[in-house]
Amino acid sequence: MSAAAPSIKSQPVYHALEWDAAGVSHLLFVAADDRPLLERLLAAPPRGDLTVLVTDAAAADHLRASGSDAHTVVEDGLARGLEALESFLRTADMGLRLYLVGCEDAIWQAAGIAARYGMSSAEIRLFQTGTKARPVFCVHCRAMTRGVRTNLADCSGCGRTLFVRDHFSRRLGAYMGFQIDAEEPGVKPPVEVAYP
Amino acid sequence: MLSLPLPGGIRRNPYSLVGDPHDRRKWRIAVRRQEQSRGGSAWLHESAREGQPLKVSMPANLFPMARLARHHILIAGGIGVTPIVSHARELARLGHSFEVHYAHRAPEFGVLVDELRQLAGGDVYCYVASRNEMLDFRQLLAERPLGTHAYLCGPQGMVENFHQVARDMGWPDTHVHSERFLAPPPGEAFAVKLARSGREVAVPGDQSMLEALEAAGAEPPFLCRGGACGQCETEVIACDSAFQHNDLFLSQPERDSGRKIMPCVSRIAGGCITINL
Repeated sequence: MSAAAPSIKSQPVYHALEWDAAGVSHLLFVAADDRPLLERLLAAPPRGDLTVLVTDAAAADHLRASGSDAHTVVEDGLARGLEALESFLRTADMGLRLYLVGCEDAIWQAAGIAARYGMSSAEIRLFQTGTKARPVFCVHCRAMTRGVRTNLADCSGCGRTLFVRDHFSRRLGAYMGFQIDAEEPGVKPPVEVAYP
Repeated sequence: MLSLPLPGGIRRNPYSLVGDPHDRRKWRIAVRRQEQSRGGSAWLHESAREGQPLKVSMPANLFPMARLARHHILIAGGIGVTPIVSHARELARLGHSFEVHYAHRAPEFGVLVDELRQLAGGDVYCYVASRNEMLDFRQLLAERPLGTHAYLCGPQGMVENFHQVARDMGWPDTHVHSERFLAPPPGEAFAVKLARSGREVAVPGDQSMLEALEAAGAEPPFLCRGGACGQCETEVIACDSAFQHNDLFLSQPERDSGRKIMPCVSRIAGGCITINL
């Protein structure tokens, strides 16, 4: 999958996911069903311990069917998956590499947890797959609205109609949203699905 | 950076501050007396007198700490203990989790151990070569919690071994920090041609290129004088001899290009080098 050039510098670009041979143990966090990717990765597993943590039911089924002998943990949904990730990292040692596969909301929440455990970008690889839906951070009330597929979205915190920008915060793991009709109340462009 | 009035001229040597960074009234350094001193340590031990004014430059930190680390492992080899003491002092003040490992030749070389014990309590481990105690990096870096950062200040061989072992054990370079203490290594005498002025300066075997340029009245840029900071990076226009790169700054492609040299610690094996100065 070739990554399109972003319209704005802060927007992440994801490269084809490969194992990091410098790591001595590996945790693959799977929050979306991308069968070709999983098959390719597990066909040539890395040196050292590999754990696969899956939060997507379809991906878990495919993994079971594939007959991979990687140590696999299945969690029901993203919230539980992130909790499981955190407890894994709490007792993990240096030498671990973390691979995050899924929609941006999932992988950047996971990256935020990893950063709290002192991991640097040199130890984490992210790959966006599945839905392009965006987590949106409201610059007015600072609330997060998740799973946004349209160019405009109602803020989950203050209810303003937000325009979803391409400007991305790695710290927050979200795109910036600001009130579309602040200057001329009620004047809004049509709502379109922009992030399927 | 201390300017020492040696008999042969001013010698500028960098030293690590070991005092309390929050006490701005005094700066404290520790200087080991070198058997084969290039003049600096011998002069400080024998000729410097209390009350004698010395010219010093503003301190610089080329060995910073990772403040978001979950745990810090500080490692000192010999007199490399000096920046480690400063780090320990700061970590103790911040209340962060840290430990200190200090390798030295013999008990009498264990300077500042008492101070380290005051700062780190029981988490100071000494490895004394005369008692056959060896610091094993493989053991030291094994099974460390995620988010641990390790720092070493010591001689070059120790630093290289440290980085190699850390890499083998899967530590990313972002979590492994080092400072090598490095006096300019001596070598063969050679000549430097200054392209802009057309002047030629002779560099004796026991003097660095930077020192020879300064003695000749040139004012090349410098900061650390230990091959670490990159401030004195100089463009090479021609060189009829082999480079002896001793710095930590230039990348391998930069070295291979033959276009750059760090005059504070690097030299050439005789002959003549022309630089853009």
